[in-house]
Amino acid sequence: MADMNKPLLEVRGLRKTYPASTGSFFRRDRFAAVEDVSFTVNAGETFGIVGESGCGKSTVARLIMALEAPDSGEVLLDGQRLDNLSESRRIPLRPRFQMVFQDSGSSLNPRKTVSDILREPMLHHHVVSRKDADRRVDELLSLVGLPAAAKTRYPHEFSGGQRQRICIARALSLNPRLVILDEPVSALDVSVQAQILNLLRDLQKELGLTCVFIGHGLGAVRYVSHRIAVMYMGRIVETGDAENIFSRPAHPYTRALLDAAPVADPDRRGRKRLTLEGEAHGLLTDGCPFRDRCPYAEEACASLAPVLSPVEGDEKHLSACCRALQQEEKSC
Amino acid sequence: MEPILEVRDLDIAFESGKTLIPRTDKVSFSIQPGEIVCLVGESGCGKSITALSVLGLLSRQGRVTGGSIRLMGRELLDMTEKQLDEIRGRDATMIFQDIMYSLNPVFTIGNQLTEGIRRHMRLDKAAARERAVALLKRTGIPDAQGVMRKYPHQLSGGMRQRAMIAMALSCRPKLLIADEPTTALDVTIQLQIMELLRSLRDETGMAVLLITHDIGVVAEMADRVVVMYAGQCVEEADVRTLLASPAHPYTRALMQSVPGIDDDRSRRLYTIPGSVPEDYSHMEGCRFAPRCPHAQSCGCRPEYKPLREGHLVRCERAGEVQHG
Repeated sequence: MADMNKPLLEVRGLRKTYPASTGSFFRRDRFAAVEDVSFTVNAGETFGIVGESGCGKSTVARLIMALEAPDSGEVLLDGQRLDNLSESRRIPLRPRFQMVFQDSGSSLNPRKTVSDILREPMLHHHVVSRKDADRRVDELLSLVGLPAAAKTRYPHEFSGGQRQRICIARALSLNPRLVILDEPVSALDVSVQAQILNLLRDLQKELGLTCVFIGHGLGAVRYVSHRIAVMYMGRIVETGDAENIFSRPAHPYTRALLDAAPVADPDRRGRKRLTLEGEAHGLLTDGCPFRDRCPYAEEACASLAPVLSPVEGDEKHLSACCRALQQEEKSC
Repeated sequence: MEPILEVRDLDIAFESGKTLIPRTDKVSFSIQPGEIVCLVGESGCGKSITALSVLGLLSRQGRVTGGSIRLMGRELLDMTEKQLDEIRGRDATMIFQDIMYSLNPVFTIGNQLTEGIRRHMRLDKAAARERAVALLKRTGIPDAQGVMRKYPHQLSGGMRQRAMIAMALSCRPKLLIADEPTTALDVTIQLQIMELLRSLRDETGMAVLLITHDIGVVAEMADRVVVMYAGQCVEEADVRTLLASPAHPYTRALMQSVPGIDDDRSRRLYTIPGSVPEDYSHMEGCRFAPRCPHAQSCGCRPEYKPLREGHLVRCERAGEVQHG
């Protein structure tokens, strides 16, 4: 079993901006998709990132994978910088960090058989010999719960859930230290989602897998993650143990996000919840980015940019809010 | 009370080459005035085509091969395209999941919104505009005057869905069909839209047919629920009964396979083995049997019959399932 207390992945002060459309040719503004994001993931742990569309969670995934270069900040895997390497020096490291995307249909080559899809990366990175590759393909398929007969078939012959299993098998084929899963179940039907979520939990246990799990489905993220970060407008607004985030949310946005999740109990329809007005937008540059939707916003929130700080002295539970929620507000 | 919508034994088939492949099998349900009925199921179960067929909006390959659809007592399947045109947008309207493609990109919101109002309510331009602005305001759009002049791409997803709802409600319909209206939206916006739909129902007394795959949305919105699997209705009950004591194994499995935000995390999610059959038209007997934990010798063809008043189930072992 892997050591749970040693950071495997370290992300420090990550920032990424894109050109923003200003409507004018002469003004070139930039929009910060990710702003000062830092976190660590320990070996054997699953770190969940939740947030709504446009909050920057997928950009964080792409920055870790070095699919895009950050404006500033560092990504370290096993203490080694990944973000400032040349592509030729990064390629030998690729087997260590792998990714699974939301759209399994477009991330598998339609002209290759499953066997080829799984063999190619292993042979390229010399993870197995040609002789052993077939045996390893069988192993991988049984690991993700696909029949060995799947080998000779093509991606289009599989359902969405089975294709996602193939993607997971491909990511695992290189014995990665870290797997990043970007909304791996969002496109799947609920009954199939459950199968994939259970598979991920089994793999965590069996292989001691370290994962970053990105999603907008709160239930799914909670089900697989040990620790969670909640993102809003490119920033982490709250982070901590999954249990703490869900049972004792400290940031008003986390609270609203949890309250908005539909609950399968009609008797709780009329429950009190923190409802947000309006929508997220990138217009607030200084101060708290959430203040225009926050029911607790005060004057100070406009000038003071909140930093992540411990909640009730708990060093593992951080929240970026100028005012910790009062007791009566929490229970609403 | 006469139902607003009554669907009886609806069979829909799709052309594939020269053959017709049945996609629904005797779908039946009805909606009372002011009622929100949810049609639930996974992709491919036939819930969307059922909804589309009500307004005669099936694609060219699709065709209704049997049954009846009555809207306020009038048979829709016997109507000409022209008669249907009078009904669509006035008596019954529809909003879709795909907020990107359901609005015309080259016309302003105001333009699209007033078109239906002028046509069905026979108002002049100024009066139609006034009504349109009032509707946009009612759906919670802050700058209604400004939005009238905007094009769909200038609005966010939530705003577009609000504009769609305003358009759907513009002629005071008796029935609103909403096909996964919040699936493409973020949860905080989903909550806003759900609350909006419910309060509009309370205000206008319109009936709503809500199509969704999300049991959470069902619990928040529905008065009554119809569960579909592989082209058939498998269970129907009021929302409390259905969620508290589901009697069809599929309904039960569907509920247990969703990770809730306050469940016991150590509990393993229930999974339904296998996947929905792609072509189920030739399946003999119970269509869920191959995936069902309760299946024994379910080679029989289970009937869709009442377990008790108002609770219909298509399962031979419904009583056992409900209590175990």
